[in-house]
Formats: sequence, structure tokens, C-alpha cells
Amino acid sequence: MRYNWDWSIYFQRASDGSGTWLHYLFVGLAWTLATALAAWVIALVVGSIVGTLRTTPSKWIVRLGNAYVEIFRNIPLLVQMFLWFFVLPELLPKGLGDAVKQIPPPWGSYLPAVLSLGIYTSVRVAEQVRAGIQSLPRGQRMAGTALGLTLPQNYRFVLLPMAFRIILPPLTSEFLNIIKNSSVALTIGLLELTGRARAMQEFSFKVFEAFAAATVIYLVTNMIVVVLMRALERRVRVPGFIGTTAKAPQAGH
Amino acid sequence: MNSSMIEFRAVSKWYGSFQVLKRCSTRVDKGQVVVVCGPSGSGKSTLIKCVNGLEPFQEGEIIVNAESVGAKGTNLSRLRSKIGMVFQHFELFPHMSVTENLNLAQVKVLGRSREEATTKSMALLKRVGLEAHAKKYPGELSGGQQQRVAIARGLAMDPIAMLFDEPTSALDPEMINEVLDVMVELAQEGMTMMVVTHEMGFARKVAHRVVFMDNGEIVEDAATEEFFGSPRSDRAQLFLSKILQH
Repeated sequence: MRYNWDWSIYFQRASDGSGTWLHYLFVGLAWTLATALAAWVIALVVGSIVGTLRTTPSKWIVRLGNAYVEIFRNIPLLVQMFLWFFVLPELLPKGLGDAVKQIPPPWGSYLPAVLSLGIYTSVRVAEQVRAGIQSLPRGQRMAGTALGLTLPQNYRFVLLPMAFRIILPPLTSEFLNIIKNSSVALTIGLLELTGRARAMQEFSFKVFEAFAAATVIYLVTNMIVVVLMRALERRVRVPGFIGTTAKAPQAGH
Repeated sequence: MNSSMIEFRAVSKWYGSFQVLKRCSTRVDKGQVVVVCGPSGSGKSTLIKCVNGLEPFQEGEIIVNAESVGAKGTNLSRLRSKIGMVFQHFELFPHMSVTENLNLAQVKVLGRSREEATTKSMALLKRVGLEAHAKKYPGELSGGQQQRVAIARGLAMDPIAMLFDEPTSALDPEMINEVLDVMVELAQEGMTMMVVTHEMGFARKVAHRVVFMDNGEIVEDAATEEFFGSPRSDRAQLFLSKILQH
């Protein structure tokens, strides 16, 4: 394959006149992070609540949680984003729908992107949280109950602190996923990193340089996330608890 | 003479169509120690878990300190906070230090201040010989130490009775005595105790009565000397002959 690499392209003026192409891409990264982080907040909060509710003794609450999970887990993210962006405004009362459609860019794309990505990921978080709680010995819940803790206290002080520690590694994966999945937002017009790499390719005809830069930026960003999450895992490590470090519990002393 | 602290009145429980408890009636009087024994699967653990409502039951009644456990108006949380419970697998909270384990319910359930709770916890840890381990985490302790912490955790609530569900079954043999010693001491101080255990030496030493269960039924309910001296039922005799052989 013959291709004339032109690394200087990054320092040439971008077509939108805002600065260099490199600057243009980094603004894209800022949008990627703004989308992913806002969605991650929704995913964590909603996912933790739904996941917790699905382990309560109430049958109806569990069913409601299950329904939520099955609905948002079984529809592709792309379709969900289209639903939030194209379909929801049509379903709202006319005045409200029109107001939604008139939200100026980029917010008109940003908001549905954050909502769809947040809710899509919340279902995955809910599954992790449920699995985390259910992986705890049954006696833990009993011990909390026997001490007179109420159900919410039992979750708050006994079950969730351990469940979250156990699911930190899979939660890291979800965090990485949400950063990568935010690229789907380009389909509803959000110029995040992938969207901007594509625009750069279209205007400068430098397809390899554009996507090489996007690749490296995604890779470095996610590796930083991995390092930070590892640090968090070490910080909340429970002394002597099996499976958190190489140090075996010091039994028998 | 004695007033009853825990009273079972014809308690029955089913898992689906399988009956695990069959019209069980017995009582634990104030200041008494009652040991519940029997082969595995006989329903002893289920019976003791009914006392503080950890296991629901369908028929009969359990009266704890003049309150009916299964009744609708009963504040179960409050009742539970007055009954200490020790589990086979300790069930300490692994993410909390030993002191925090003892403090949690004192602060959150009884509403004690953190200082008040810590003072109480330290006194109890000293009593079970573990004050040096107050800042450690459960995973850093041996099984025997963990179980002693669990007993202290129950005592921190100033309970009116203590329930023990096979407290030494998960322990290595060399650690059983350190836990039993704490329990014997507790019994001698007049704590009301219901103890599910196979430790017949412990039963002989401190139990006022022994309840023998088999197949969900209370087969024998007798004073300790009577139970070990001349068990009436064949099943209890067989059980004793097997368990006392070694």
C-alpha cells in the first residue's frame, strides 16, 4: 500500500477556522468526556438503585426492576439514541416537543446522547450491582438484620459497601464502554471525537492521520481511566479480605 | 418460679410442602441456658432463627419478653436489637474494623454516640481478650478470634438474651475452646442463652435444659442431668451414643 503520510496536517488550520486540526480533535475529546461522564453519573445512580431494588424481598419491586433491565438491555444503543432524538419529541405534547426540537446545537444532540447512553449503561450497572449483592454470603444480610438494622440501613452499611468493592473491576469495564459508546452520538449529530475525526477526514482527505489520532486519543484516555480505577481499587481494599490482594489473610495468630 | 424469656407455642414451618418444624413447643427461662441438639437437618437452626424473625413461620406463636414475634404490630427491628445472635460463620462485616463492627448497630440502632459506643466496645473486646485487635479487620483474625468478636458484637447491644447457631461448627478444633470459654463465662453470669450446638461437654457444664430435635420435631426436652443420664426416647439415646463415643 502506498500512502503519503502527512503528519503536519495536525498543525494546519482546521476547516471550521477554530484552530489547528489537533485542537479540533481535542475539542472532540472534550465532548466525548462531557458526554461519557454525564452519562456515567446517570448510569451509576440509576443502576445502583435498580440493581439494589432487584435484591429486595418485595416481589413487585423486583419485577419492576427486571422489566426496566430487560427493556433497555435488549434494544441496541443506536436504536435507543434514535428513539430519544427523533421519536421522543414527536410523542411529547406538541408545545413541549417543538421546544425540544428547537434546543440549539450542540445541546440538542448532547442531551439525548447523554440520556440514552446513561440509561443504556445503567442497566448494565444494575446487573453488576445485583450480582455483587447476591455474591455476598446470605449470613451477612442476616447478621445486619439480627442486629436490628432496618432494610435500608442494612444495604447502606453492610451489603452495598462490600458489593461495590467486589464489582469494581467490571465497573471499570463499564466506564471504558461508556467512553467508547459515546461515539455512537455522532449519528445524531454530536461532534465528539469520532465525529470530528470523520469530519477531519472529509475536509482534509487525510483518513489515516485523522483516525490514527482518534485511535491514540481513545487509547490513552482509557488507559488513564484504567490506572485511576486501579488506584481506587487499592484505596478501598479491605485488609485480609480474600481476592483483593496477593497478601493472604493472617489466620491463626 | 422463673419467668419465661423465650417461649415457643406449637410452632410449625413449611418450605413449600416440606414441613421443617412440627408443632415445636419449648421455653427458655430468664437466666437459663438451653442447648438445642440433634442430627443435621433436624430443624434446630431454623428453630433458633424463628426467635428473632430471621425465618418466618406459618403456625404457632413465639413470645419473646412478652412480645409475640410473628404478630403484625411487633416492631421486629427493635425486638431484634435486644437479642444478640452469633452465627456459625461469624458474619462479621469484612470492610469494617473490629471496633466498627461493634459500634455500627450501637450507633445506628440504639442511637448511642460514637464515643459512648467505642467505650462500650473496648470494654467488651477486653472481656473477650481481644482489645489488642480492635483496629484490625475481620480478615486479619483467626476463626476463633472472629467468633469472639461476633459474641462481643452481640453483647454490645446489652441484649436480654443471646442466640448461638452452631457457634463452633466452623472452627478448627484448637480454637473451639477459646469460644466456649467465653460462652461458659457468659452463662455463669446469668445471661439467658439458647445454643444450637454439638458440644455436649458445654451442654453438660452449663445447660439447664437440653432440647433434642429430629425431623423437625422436639423429641426430648429435659433437664440436663436427666437428658444425659436417662434419655427417654430411642432417637435421643441413639444420637447420644453416637456423639459421645469418641
